[in-house]
Amino acid sequence: MKEPTARGSQTDADERTPIRDRWSARPSGDSDEALAGALLRSAAVVPPFPAKNLAEVAARLRSRERHVPRKWTWQIAIAVGLLLFGGALSAAVMHILRRPAVSPPAPVVPVSMPASAPARRAHSVVAPPPAPVLSPEPEPSPIVRAEETHAPRLAHSGGTPESAAAKASLEPLPPAAPASPSALAQESRLLAGAIHKLRQEHDPGQALAMLDEHRARFEAKGALEPEANVTRIEALLRLGRHDQALGLLDGLALTRAGVGREMLVARAELRAEKGRSAAALNDFNSLLSADAPPDVVSERALYGRATCRAQIGDGAGARADLEDYLTRFPTGRFADRARTLIGK
Amino acid sequence: MTLVRSDATPVIESRSGVPDLETLYRAHAPTVARWVAKLAGPLADVDDLVHEIFLVVRRRLPEFRGDAKVTTWLYRITERVAQESRRKDRFRRWFSRARHVEIERSLAPSHLTPVDEFERRQSTETVYRILDQLPGKYRNVLILFELEELSGEDIATLTGLKPATVWVHLHRARARFIAEMKRDSGRRT
Repeated sequence: MKEPTARGSQTDADERTPIRDRWSARPSGDSDEALAGALLRSAAVVPPFPAKNLAEVAARLRSRERHVPRKWTWQIAIAVGLLLFGGALSAAVMHILRRPAVSPPAPVVPVSMPASAPARRAHSVVAPPPAPVLSPEPEPSPIVRAEETHAPRLAHSGGTPESAAAKASLEPLPPAAPASPSALAQESRLLAGAIHKLRQEHDPGQALAMLDEHRARFEAKGALEPEANVTRIEALLRLGRHDQALGLLDGLALTRAGVGREMLVARAELRAEKGRSAAALNDFNSLLSADAPPDVVSERALYGRATCRAQIGDGAGARADLEDYLTRFPTGRFADRARTLIGK
Repeated sequence: MTLVRSDATPVIESRSGVPDLETLYRAHAPTVARWVAKLAGPLADVDDLVHEIFLVVRRRLPEFRGDAKVTTWLYRITERVAQESRRKDRFRRWFSRARHVEIERSLAPSHLTPVDEFERRQSTETVYRILDQLPGKYRNVLILFELEELSGEDIATLTGLKPATVWVHLHRARARFIAEMKRDSGRRT
């Protein structure tokens, strides 16, 4: 459908006028167009698709196997989510169906029953005995340790599942109280909120505030503390607070697997940026072990090590790394710079 | 600016007059990769998308009669796959599935002083955040004109739109972009 325009057909005619200049080609300035141009220029830089990746995709195409990359993770997550939701829903329905057993006694309606009326009908209008007054369970502290909530409830009561079930069926149910989420649920909700702020709303400041709240509530003992740390580092980097990010990274025992590898290369680069060449070299070296995969982390590490070596005056080492880089990543993102540096 | 850059080699057509997959891939995969990277945005997994596109190409190749230019046909497939990818991405982010990719992209600098790279990345994110507020037809035309630096005529050829329609879309896309840019800037200050 054609969008309505403010000035009618004149505007329509104007809109058909070819545009000859690109905002992205305009020089910097304060006008809206210049600002838009500056933004667009930054997004226009897309590194060429590496030849290695082209070859890999071609091989996948030739194999005639439909590659399903990591899609199972979220599909399983959806299935689990739906199952949990369904479970919660049926539990709620069951609870509602059983509520009359504990509802407050109905007022006794004086009904004159004929003497011949069956006795059981009289029951239907007589209020049940009042429910025993149960002392409500103490409100759980907002700070609940994950270990406590993970412990099976029956372990505290000392009963078997069967006896507990039998007891539950005989005794009137306690008044419905709002369910208190477990510590893990609270923690994951808080962390999910922080990730949402960071990734979806692009608000690292708010994400950091939520992570601070997470830290305050769960100290360093939260079950999701490693994830919280990774998210915090990402938020700090997005805020440009490299010192703080590096401070956190310095305190982490990073492994050379998964996210740890990416954190390790980030730490190495930040250390190099701060002139801590020796510490950066250690990280780069550990990333460039013989079994390191030829991935983007290795690529960054190799180029990073070359720079560090150059910084400490090891020109031969730096040159060797750059040559190695060009051999292993001839179309890599630093390839042009590496060629310039070694004069190829 | 030509429609297909010099990194594409001429397509060799098979005996039936329709190029085979291998030839198409060799000739156009780099271009398709560049298109999809720009259309799908900075968080896209370009390898997977290129693979996805050429799977569609393989499936539909027998139906391709050469009525449209190969590049137009490929672009339309690319556009649909990129659109689907953006839709999935919005959903997938909830599950933090993209954590590895995002961290890698969020941290990967192109040199050892990450400040410039960090700023560039933030600007790119801002651009795509704004672009994502635009209707698809405006968004894609603006990307092709400003980021891919195609001429209006080339965009018309690629998208199958009339040149006049391209200009109308572009004018409106620009107006919307500025409005969204101001709104975005207002939200963040």
